[in-house]
Amino acid sequence: MFEENPANLAAGERNEEAMPAAAAGTATPRDEGISSQPSEPATPVTGGGEAEPSAARAVAVAMAGWLVPGLGHALLKMWGRALAIFLTVGFLVYLGAGMRGHVFEPGGEDAFARLGYVADAGTGSFYFVARALEISGSDVSHADGDYGTRFLATAGVLNLLAALHAYEAARGRKA
Amino acid sequence: MVPLHFSHLQSLLLFALVISLAFGTLGRRKPIERVKYAAWSFAMFVLVGIALGWLMYPFSR
Repeated sequence: MFEENPANLAAGERNEEAMPAAAAGTATPRDEGISSQPSEPATPVTGGGEAEPSAARAVAVAMAGWLVPGLGHALLKMWGRALAIFLTVGFLVYLGAGMRGHVFEPGGEDAFARLGYVADAGTGSFYFVARALEISGSDVSHADGDYGTRFLATAGVLNLLAALHAYEAARGRKA
Repeated sequence: MVPLHFSHLQSLLLFALVISLAFGTLGRRKPIERVKYAAWSFAMFVLVGIALGWLMYPFSR
């Protein structure tokens, strides 16, 4: 059901099959057809000097995952996790907005409001979805609204956690 | 959108279910481990939530 290919997680691992022959200088005739790239990243994962490209890629993956929940994992071809994150964050935002939870705005007057905004903004683009869904505004005078506020904050924190997870996976660390 | 109304227990169960599924999917790789971890998280969320509720009960009045 939730299958992904761990071999594709680390940056640069995708070329693993083609690399041994090229690295050993024993390129087959078929390889020679694409031999205009003789130094295809030789050691992106197993050490070596080029750490910056994979770090930049990992940051880009994490940013994508933050902006659109699940996109970071989708870029790493971790389809099951991407779908789970998208659906979970989306469902929590839908529930939170439906329960008329409070969506915090930037520039809150106290620390809790600012912290709440950070949590809500963790949903990335879904923050605006939550605001669009709450056409009649929040209502925290009932337990529903209070729970809705927590649901929205949880969606944001969960998405930040997922973005961090995508970053770790893109760096080739165990995820 | 249509306002949603849930009781405290329904909210707790819904929250525990959704977050447990996400934890299971994110935290484990093999399907059977995911199911076990999600079930464990769900049980812990619900049990700890109810236990905390009862612990706070004497202070609610």
